[in-house]
Amino acid sequence: MRPFTYTGTTNRNEALKAFTTTSHYLSGGTNLVDLMKEHVEQPDQLIHVKNLQYNGISKNKDGSYTIGAMRSNADTANHKDIRLYYPLLSMAMLSAATAQIRNMATNGGNLLQRTRCPYFFETSMPCNKREPESGCGALNGVNDQHAIFGYSDNCIATHPSDMCVALAAIGATVEVQKVDGGSRKIDLEDFHRLPGDKPEKDSNLEPGELITHIHLAKPELSNHYAYVKIRERSSYAFALVSVAAGFQIEDEKISKIGLAMGGVAHKPWKLIEAEEFLLGKKPIESNFGKAAELAMKDAKPFEGNRYKVPMGKNAIVRALMQANNIGE
Amino acid sequence: MKTKNATGIGNAIDRVEGHLKVTGEATYASEFKVENKAYGQGINSTIAKGEIIGIDTSEAEKLKGVLKIITYKNAEKLKTFDKERPVLATDSIAPVLQSNKVHYYGEYVGFVVAETFEQAQYAASLVKLKYKEDATARFILGQNKDKAYNPSEESDYERGNLKKGFSEADAIIEQTYNTPIEHQHPMELHATIASWNNGKVLVYASQQIVEDAVISISGTFQIPKKDVRVVAKYVGGGFGSKLNVERHLIMAVMASKMVGRPVQATVTRSQMFTNTGLRQSNIQVVKLGAKKTGELTGLLHETLAYTSTTQEFQEPCGSMSKMMYNVANAAVSERLVPLNLQQPFSMRAPGEATGSFALECAMDELAWKLKMDPVQFRIKNDTQEDLSQEKPFSSRLLIECLTIGADEFGWNKRQQKPRANKKGNWLIGYGVSAAARAAPFNETHAKVLLDLTNDTVTATLQMDATDIGTGSYTILAQTLSECLNVPLEQVVVELGDSDYPITPGSGGSWGAASYCNGAKSACDYAIAALKKNRNVPNDEDVSIAELLKMNQITSYESQSLAKPDSEFKKHSIFSFGANFTEVWVDKDTGIYKIKRMVNVGSAGKILNPKTAYGQVIGGLTMGAGMVIAEQTKVEPNFGNFITRSFADYHVPVNLDMANVDVIFLPEEDKIVNQMGIKGIGELGITSVAASIANAIFNATGKRMRDLPITPEKLLMAEVEDGVTV
Ligand SMILES: Cc1cc2nc3c(=O)[nH]c(=O)nc-3n(C[C@H](O)[C@H](O)[C@H](O)COP(=O)(O)OP(=O)(O)OC[C@H]3O[C@@H](n4cnc5c(N)ncnc54)[C@H](O)[C@@H]3O)c2cc1C
Ligand code: SF4
Repeated sequence: MRPFTYTGTTNRNEALKAFTTTSHYLSGGTNLVDLMKEHVEQPDQLIHVKNLQYNGISKNKDGSYTIGAMRSNADTANHKDIRLYYPLLSMAMLSAATAQIRNMATNGGNLLQRTRCPYFFETSMPCNKREPESGCGALNGVNDQHAIFGYSDNCIATHPSDMCVALAAIGATVEVQKVDGGSRKIDLEDFHRLPGDKPEKDSNLEPGELITHIHLAKPELSNHYAYVKIRERSSYAFALVSVAAGFQIEDEKISKIGLAMGGVAHKPWKLIEAEEFLLGKKPIESNFGKAAELAMKDAKPFEGNRYKVPMGKNAIVRALMQANNIGE
Repeated sequence: MKTKNATGIGNAIDRVEGHLKVTGEATYASEFKVENKAYGQGINSTIAKGEIIGIDTSEAEKLKGVLKIITYKNAEKLKTFDKERPVLATDSIAPVLQSNKVHYYGEYVGFVVAETFEQAQYAASLVKLKYKEDATARFILGQNKDKAYNPSEESDYERGNLKKGFSEADAIIEQTYNTPIEHQHPMELHATIASWNNGKVLVYASQQIVEDAVISISGTFQIPKKDVRVVAKYVGGGFGSKLNVERHLIMAVMASKMVGRPVQATVTRSQMFTNTGLRQSNIQVVKLGAKKTGELTGLLHETLAYTSTTQEFQEPCGSMSKMMYNVANAAVSERLVPLNLQQPFSMRAPGEATGSFALECAMDELAWKLKMDPVQFRIKNDTQEDLSQEKPFSSRLLIECLTIGADEFGWNKRQQKPRANKKGNWLIGYGVSAAARAAPFNETHAKVLLDLTNDTVTATLQMDATDIGTGSYTILAQTLSECLNVPLEQVVVELGDSDYPITPGSGGSWGAASYCNGAKSACDYAIAALKKNRNVPNDEDVSIAELLKMNQITSYESQSLAKPDSEFKKHSIFSFGANFTEVWVDKDTGIYKIKRMVNVGSAGKILNPKTAYGQVIGGLTMGAGMVIAEQTKVEPNFGNFITRSFADYHVPVNLDMANVDVIFLPEEDKIVNQMGIKGIGELGITSVAASIANAIFNATGKRMRDLPITPEKLLMAEVEDGVTV
């Protein structure tokens, strides 16, 4: 690992002040430190932000909740209100990594975890995300875990988070603190980017912006929900494909719905057409099947990841069925 | 042998070394306290074939703490191979940094020595190498079949008349089975500390065979064996990867001489992918023919595997096919393709683990074609003679393993038709396989020191045997307790030092049998000699304390050996087993769960049911790993392994493992060795993969002939012809 300096602080302004363009905020370190060991990330300075006071979970006036960016994934997923009002989020978070990693990992870090593309991790390989203009090794190489939606010739990587897929289904806003002292809110849908011609940028954060909170939309999808994650072993594996589904039923029809997929794009992939199709429809398998067809119709797989199309369809139907049958 | 006391052999006692391990007091290779040691870190090539044409060490040398940077330019001259692609053995020389040539991605091209591990690592990343790449590098076995050659070690095997055999068959199947590259990944990283003193080198190392390590080091450096001492007190798993001396060790020995200080080298987990051995990928074709009534008439097993471009290693995939069944006409062959990939070597049950997958899946395929129960099909083709060696088996309880296992498992509830057993979204299937693994027994020397103080005898055993996590310390303590009839507290076991008597080390399932018989011989020798001195009849029961007193001595040293006798050589010696598996496959997602496994083994005398159980559970888990997800993926354009950490090289997790029932059949084998011990270290992994794949067929009607069977593959696979969906 390349030597670096370490700044530990419990004071937000100190953290922001310490920021330079070659610094990284360090939170749980479960992603950043791994990448430093591989020489993928080589910061001059780590600013440890985990001990800043953004680790609460609080209820807002409209019934929605705000979770702190520095709170651990484990303490978020196991919080009684999150389990009660956002069970989909809890389920997705608990499907990630291992108990040990979830204890260390934080919500802010989870949003910004980087792709698991193997070329990104190996500094001797070409990778536009790690080293712009060096080429994309995966494009004509091993691409079985890569995107089927929204990629560009520059990068076909996926975003690996489970938490973010659930957030996309539920609806969320990310609050960040700017270096100059102000703050702003970014809709989750605009938080992560598609690779386009800037694959090195995963998100729309500006340099030095510090994530402080995630505001969750009102808890309206807590009756019927499911997170289906298909992976190569029963735990401690990233999703090949995952689906977060939550809906509400009124008069035997779907009155509100959130649907998103993981493992298929550079960001959590909202299934907007499928959502629109299902609104006002009966929650039955044939409708779910049609929604899944709609969701996958524009998929453009590669040699190695053709399986994601049928697997994705089946996962969508399974998630919706499971959500529908909940409590039965 | 009848057990005389509660801590003798056959008792399920706790590990004698357990406390040391859980309290961190057991010293693994990198944990020995050595004064003034420096740290070395290997530099890995980033091309797969070519030449180094420039080395810039200036930036690295400027770093604080850097003591030496070794490359082919300044490395000590070592003994190198005198022919192209010599066969790799456990005592082979291991030259490194001897030329500017690169043969595979990740090969060591340099070694940095610094005051701290961190400095060495960082400096290694700053050494800039310029390469001239050779575009003729080859990485993919399936694309280079035309480069295959007949390896020198194994010649083609044939018996009977295969053509005639297949012409007599009523049903024939012929299929291709693929297994990927796998890595051993013992928990303990390979590590070494080397220090020179007066022209002699002391090497703390993580090795399975101490004596062969001494030979390898002395051969590589061209120094006398007596000047090399290797110490491996505790080894945190090997699985074959620590049979050979690996290059980090040689570089540490070299570096220690160059900097005049002890040097420690610990490889990183990602170097465990590139520099410490692996199981090669195989493409196996199995053709089987049988009569309507189930008798096999022909068996063909052809294996295509890869070896490196610098050395040759053949995993004998056909070994089980040669001896397993009563088939008069059989042919087994092996071919190798040299590729620009890391040198393969033994991984747990080399040949059997992979070969049994092909053979035992093929048996299931043929049983299905014959509409025969696969258990009965195997029983029908049982043999008490090893047709390949033309020798009787010393003992073979395969039929008992199969029938008892079937009972225990509830095999009679199995539906022969695939997809006939459903529950919600799950398709449920049952699978079976049979297993055989050679049970070798090799010459082993041991020394026993007896000490009588205050009426109490302390017996100390010394041998260069290693405990690679299997429990050798424990079963050897039990052996002494048994043979000398003293309680366990009065036994001391000292292992893993080349100053002690020579043993074959741990590997190939020969450890337990060899070690224990060796230790017994030293005990027996002591008792016999002490009795003889005082004219005590051999069959008279006198305690060892009494014997020492009668001899008017307070200490006694005895050294002896055990080795195979003529009866051993007249027999074929194997352990046998049967695996039964229940899997549940999700019909839509390709996810499956191994719900239940029953494993029955007949492996001679079980020395300690606890440690034996551990071996089998570990074997079953590793076998399940072969199916679930274990694979090292080769990048097709650059030839590097893209699986380079435990995040992407998937070994099974607890949740993946089934409820496992392990049953050992009582088996008294008087031929194999005095104590009747056969190996079990590799029996557990053998054929597990086939029993799972066969269960998946029974569940889904899909024949999965490519390991691992991942959800994506299972989902995309077609149901076999003739199976109704
Ligand atoms: C082996 C393994 C398996 C895993 N499996 C899964 C899985 O199955 N599913 C899944 O979803 N995840 C998985 N993870 C990823 C894990 O969830 C992330 O590593 C974790 O969420 C990152 O959080 P952290 O706090 O440790 O982030 P860090 O590693 O500390 O930081 C990650 C990045 O975020 C930045 N950052 C952190 N906090 C802030 C902040 N407040 N403001 C601005 N920038 C910030 C850092 O600068 C850094 O760039 C796995 C990880 C590992 C190592
Ligand atoms: S897919 Fe993206 S991350 Fe992967 S190699 Fe291409 S550019 Fe790099």
